[in-house]
Amino acid sequence: MRAVPCALVLACAAAAAAPPAPLLPGTAAGFAAAGAPRRFEFPRDDGPHPGFRHEWWYVTGNLDAADGSRFGFELTFFRFALAPAAAAAPPPPRSAWRSREVWMAHFAVTDVAERRFRAVQKLSRAALDLAGGDGEPARVWIDDWSLAAAPGGAGRWTAHASQAGYAIELTLTAAGAPVLNGVEGLSRKAADPGAASYYYSVPRLRVRGSLTRGGETLAVRGLAWLDREWGSGGLGRDQEGWDWFALQLDDGSALMFYALRDRGGGRDPFSAGTWVAPDGAVQPLGSADVAIDVEDHWRSAAGDRYPARWRLRVPRLALDLTLLPVLPDQELQTTPRYWEGAVDASGQRSGRPLAGRGYVELVGYAR
Amino acid sequence: MSLPVLPAASLRHLLRHPAQLALALLGLALGVATIVAVDTATASAQRAFELSLQAVNGAADYQIVGGPAGIDERLYVQLRRDVAPATAPVRFAPLVSGYVQLGGRILQLIGTDPFAGAELEADAAGPRAPGGVPAAADPAAARDWLAPGAVALGASLAAALHLTTGASLELTIGGVGHPATVARILPGAAFDALILTDIAQAQEWLGVRGRLSRIDLRLPPGAAGARALEALRRTLPAGLELQATRASARETFAMTGAFTTNLKAMSLLALLVGTLLIYGAISFAVVQRRAIFGVLRALGATGGQVLMLVLAEAAVLGVAGAACGALLGLLLARALVGLVAQTINDLYFVVAVSSVSVPALTLVKALGAGVATALVAALLPALEVARAAPQLALVRSSLEQRALGIARRLAVASAALALGAGLLVLVSGRSLFAGFVALFLLLIAVAAATPAALRALALGGARVAARSSAVARLACGEIAGSLSRTGVAVAALGMALSAMIGVAIMVGSFRESLRDWLTQTMRADIYVSAPGSADSPERRLAPELIRDLLATPGVQAHSEGRRAVVRSPRGALDLNALSIPPASRAAFRFSAGDPARAWQAFAAGAVLISEPLAWRLALAPRATLTLTTSAGPRAFEVAGVYREYGNDRGEVLMDLATYRRSFGDDGVGALGLYLAPGTAVAPTVAALRRTASGRQALLIRSNAELRALSMRIFERTFVITRVLYWLAAGVAAVGLVSALLAWELERGAQLALLRALGLTPARAALLVLAQTAFMGLAALLAALPAGLLTALVLTEVINRRAFGWQIDLHLSAAQFTNALWLALAASLAAGLYPAWRGARLVPAAALREA
Repeated sequence: MRAVPCALVLACAAAAAAPPAPLLPGTAAGFAAAGAPRRFEFPRDDGPHPGFRHEWWYVTGNLDAADGSRFGFELTFFRFALAPAAAAAPPPPRSAWRSREVWMAHFAVTDVAERRFRAVQKLSRAALDLAGGDGEPARVWIDDWSLAAAPGGAGRWTAHASQAGYAIELTLTAAGAPVLNGVEGLSRKAADPGAASYYYSVPRLRVRGSLTRGGETLAVRGLAWLDREWGSGGLGRDQEGWDWFALQLDDGSALMFYALRDRGGGRDPFSAGTWVAPDGAVQPLGSADVAIDVEDHWRSAAGDRYPARWRLRVPRLALDLTLLPVLPDQELQTTPRYWEGAVDASGQRSGRPLAGRGYVELVGYAR
Repeated sequence: MSLPVLPAASLRHLLRHPAQLALALLGLALGVATIVAVDTATASAQRAFELSLQAVNGAADYQIVGGPAGIDERLYVQLRRDVAPATAPVRFAPLVSGYVQLGGRILQLIGTDPFAGAELEADAAGPRAPGGVPAAADPAAARDWLAPGAVALGASLAAALHLTTGASLELTIGGVGHPATVARILPGAAFDALILTDIAQAQEWLGVRGRLSRIDLRLPPGAAGARALEALRRTLPAGLELQATRASARETFAMTGAFTTNLKAMSLLALLVGTLLIYGAISFAVVQRRAIFGVLRALGATGGQVLMLVLAEAAVLGVAGAACGALLGLLLARALVGLVAQTINDLYFVVAVSSVSVPALTLVKALGAGVATALVAALLPALEVARAAPQLALVRSSLEQRALGIARRLAVASAALALGAGLLVLVSGRSLFAGFVALFLLLIAVAAATPAALRALALGGARVAARSSAVARLACGEIAGSLSRTGVAVAALGMALSAMIGVAIMVGSFRESLRDWLTQTMRADIYVSAPGSADSPERRLAPELIRDLLATPGVQAHSEGRRAVVRSPRGALDLNALSIPPASRAAFRFSAGDPARAWQAFAAGAVLISEPLAWRLALAPRATLTLTTSAGPRAFEVAGVYREYGNDRGEVLMDLATYRRSFGDDGVGALGLYLAPGTAVAPTVAALRRTASGRQALLIRSNAELRALSMRIFERTFVITRVLYWLAAGVAAVGLVSALLAWELERGAQLALLRALGLTPARAALLVLAQTAFMGLAALLAALPAGLLTALVLTEVINRRAFGWQIDLHLSAAQFTNALWLALAASLAAGLYPAWRGARLVPAAALREA
């Protein structure tokens, strides 16, 4: 779900005095607001929406190499406007470094065989081709990291990123149309009308490509999930974090659910999700539809306690799954820290065994 | 004999003579204090400089630097994309720097990209920016930081300017005012001379859009780093260089090398003078106790025990003196550090020293120097008393006999030392250190010759005085006869006076050489320049303003100039690019090379170099000098060497057209305006100022004004030298007072005898004063030739080796007056109290005591 770029919003909340800032600093004045359902148009909506304050492209996936090694990866790009386009700028001639947008990207690899998790963050201003986003065909990048849609809107993307020890070069092909979350793609996060965003997902992207580990390049294939979201507001006043689940199940179905947590640790009623049946039928899920029990915890080196095993039940769908991280430590050492990792799902639907893979994001646990 | 008696005897003696003890301590303390102060002041300046370097991208271990026109910013983007993605990534951070004026200060303006900066610093093992630029992940801070006009400055600077977060201020950059807002106040001393801003803002303010001053980078550790470095070196475009950050910082601070060496030598002088004083004090203390030592020896104490006793006393004195000196030095350092920083700012680079950092090593050195000085000084008298046969030790005259012998031997040693100094100068080539050793040998030679000279003078004086007055003859005779006491004090004073005269002559000669040079070189009637540091990009006259200035009535001709720092395989060099009208070529005085040929070659692309540069790089006409131009390294012919006193590092003179072609920088930093005959200067200056007013705050000065300013800066850079030689002189004066006081008190009995024989109190006082004045004058007399010699060594050896300057010796009476006053003041001060005692003493009582 990522109500706003997670690292950024938490940084704001941490920086602000009580009461915690529900939104990004300052007002959203001058920015477009996600106030009412809109008509989504593809491939145009794959690209940036500069009138909104923030926006992200979020790819997570599970990969298998030919030799049987298993990997998880996360590649995300955040666009973050510091001021509306109409804001005062210094008189020309202006430096090419002047920019009102900051871009952030995270690239993480979970190397299951080596029991290793590596994540790197990049931050840059949108200037001088250092970072930025293009529309049709959509392309977002920071330095040499990029996520680019193929021309023509065929639902094909390429992803490229590298860090010390790992690099990926992947082609992602959508199996099915984008899924609009919330009400026709308008996703409300709190009672405050400003706390909403436009949110769509591509739950199943077939992945082909290569992953480089050290000096060794491995051919990989697997499934990835793309989340796209943009808006100008943030979380509600009393929300302190969320648990986000994105699962691709073996029968061709997919489940997305975000559980917003309020200050007391309880479930916020604005929590919501989407069920995509094997035949592609989409069904929104409300907070009451999904029951989640945390069955285990993991404590990070810094002493933060994260949930580490869940039982997720959707009685309406007769779905009962147990989720287990492929590695306990998949915490990104960014500012602030959050956990985002590959998980295995196993259980049953309507009495028949069902397994799958997915990604879970845990935000707001790090102190 | 049991040992405990010995220290007790020492202690009793020292405690009974507190004044003597205090003066000896003061002499040593002053010497040590000077060393500590100079060491601390230079270390603090260096520390401040290093801190300010680490303040921004402190984790960088290499940097890419370009020529005067900087680096194309597109290279940075390309490097990030092409070099960074290796599996062991290199981290890059861009930087733009220049200078701004704020509240009467010149500060370095540094524009950074906080995102790249944070990445560079992330998980770096090295030093980190304390506070640094705002965390990029904090959007509120990022937004404030990227807002137009936002700057960050150091806490102490903000406090001094009464600025708080959110305050508005106006920065003057290249003469143009820009409004700014304090977005952040940074803790720590690293930011005292810095103003930080976003890179976009810095480019706009400094007028260098599209260009970077440097690209900092951090390599991955180990072999991957070495490989990345190699790859970078290969791919870097011509004209850019990759250099180690530490090496470049060292190179920058090394500019001050000759200056700090000179300071340290001056501080050693104070300690050297202090050594003589300790020697005087200890030998006096030994002499005073010759009876006790005689008894101790007669009672069975061995020579070794007595030797150890005297040395132990000296060691205690040394520790105490060094401790006092260290404390005093720290106080002194606070005053000196301002002077050192001022000089570095005037001559080398911008640095602000807000805190005095005391290197632990300095204190250890001070303690060591103090104790060693005291021990060395005490060794001679200690050996003497230890070697003396027990019964002889009771006889005072034997000591004087011995002193006489020593004086004779010292005179011979002095000649040998002077000869050694001369030889050392001849054989040591370019070594500045050897130059200083020769200088010190010379000063020691002066000191060594003094006792014999004093004796000769005093005996001569006695012979002359004998014709007129028996008392005067006696006065002179006594000086000659008490050489063990008088010799050392006069030697110390003579040495300080020599140094004083030498430095005075050197500074005076330098001043005259500079004045002559300015008169000859500065031919234009009016000089116009953009304010700022010589090598910063923003120091540029707006082209349309130049046009308007040149259109001012009365302006007949003009020259254009641009100063820059360029790189070469021999380090960064100052370059002065000028379009020189042929009529003004006579302003340059060649010390090597044929002027006619040199100018021809100059117009065709050759360079001229100043004397200091010729000396430093050992270059002569027809040699080549390789400079890194925008098209890569290029060898320039050196067509000639000219005299120049404005830049102690030396400079390269290049035709402006050659410079523009070679370095791709077409800015003009300064104009020289030549007025039509009969045009009044002052109204023209006023008219020019009116033209520039409101557009660019230019420095528009008449020839006379600029010359006066140059002389003022010159005087300012010699303030420290003056402070230091007054300290050395102070040590000598204290020594003289202490030695003479002791001597006069000791011979109270003789004076009593004279009084009993009919000498009036007034005449007794006069006698004492005449004696001390005689000694002061004797020291001065010895210092006159020695001072001249010192001046010669300073100008011909030290200055030449430190800076390569040729200084014509100029002598004037004024150079000697300070020394004269010091000699008189010290000797009279030394005589006053004994004279008063001599007049007041009751002959019978004094005789009984004796």
